[in-house]
Amino acid sequence: MAFTAISEINDDIAKITLSGELDASTAPIFKEEVESIAGQDISKLVLLTEDLEYMSSAGLRVLIFSKQKMGADVQLYVVSPQEMVLDTLEKTGFHHSVTIVDEYAAVAR
Amino acid sequence: MRVIETLTVPGTVDSLSKIAEYVKQVATIAELNHKATYKLRLAVDEIATNIITHGYAEAGLTGEIYLRADLDNSRLTLAIEDTGAIYNPDEKAVLQHEYLSQTLETREAGGLGVHLVLASVDEFRYERAGDRNRNIFIMHRNQ
Repeated sequence: MAFTAISEINDDIAKITLSGELDASTAPIFKEEVESIAGQDISKLVLLTEDLEYMSSAGLRVLIFSKQKMGADVQLYVVSPQEMVLDTLEKTGFHHSVTIVDEYAAVAR
Repeated sequence: MRVIETLTVPGTVDSLSKIAEYVKQVATIAELNHKATYKLRLAVDEIATNIITHGYAEAGLTGEIYLRADLDNSRLTLAIEDTGAIYNPDEKAVLQHEYLSQTLETREAGGLGVHLVLASVDEFRYERAGDRNRNIFIMHRNQ
């Protein structure tokens, strides 16, 4: 399935909706989207991943890039990851640095 | 043991989706469940990506990636070969607990792929076969 990354900024929250399969061939699309919002004054970066069916370490590297590009003050959220994507985040210890929530409402609070 | 499928593709990132389709096909033939199929695809994808980026592109080389799947009653064995720079994932340091608990701000990005490979398949090994790198992935069936 084709990969898409669509971003949207509301106030100080940037959302990127990811869908499809995120591997080394599609990670540059995600990275570009992160770069496009990196200069903005935001406090939260929220990744909506309900329709993200696959993620390799190429996706994890973009998460590292995001955090390093935006700085420690920007909180990173992953909303509704599918079971195996969550498994990858946990196996690599990313759940220590990224807040994983079931639904977007938990971010906006 | 019988060979069920082979696939040869150019060693470029554009081949990753074809490799993924191939892995899913052989996993279906081997009757692996969804989780095992995902993990095998992830492991193969990580190694194929390393071959493409380190073995070929960064070394200034071009070449093919050769995949072959063998099936017997108890396991699915998938082998990937390439003619790129010698690259032994087994020699990559296994990521230690301290690294995995580091915050993302301070992390180096390397090593995650091999870590996922080792965590995803039942058995993994690397060997040198003539002028080729050979990475072998084994998934146990009937789990």
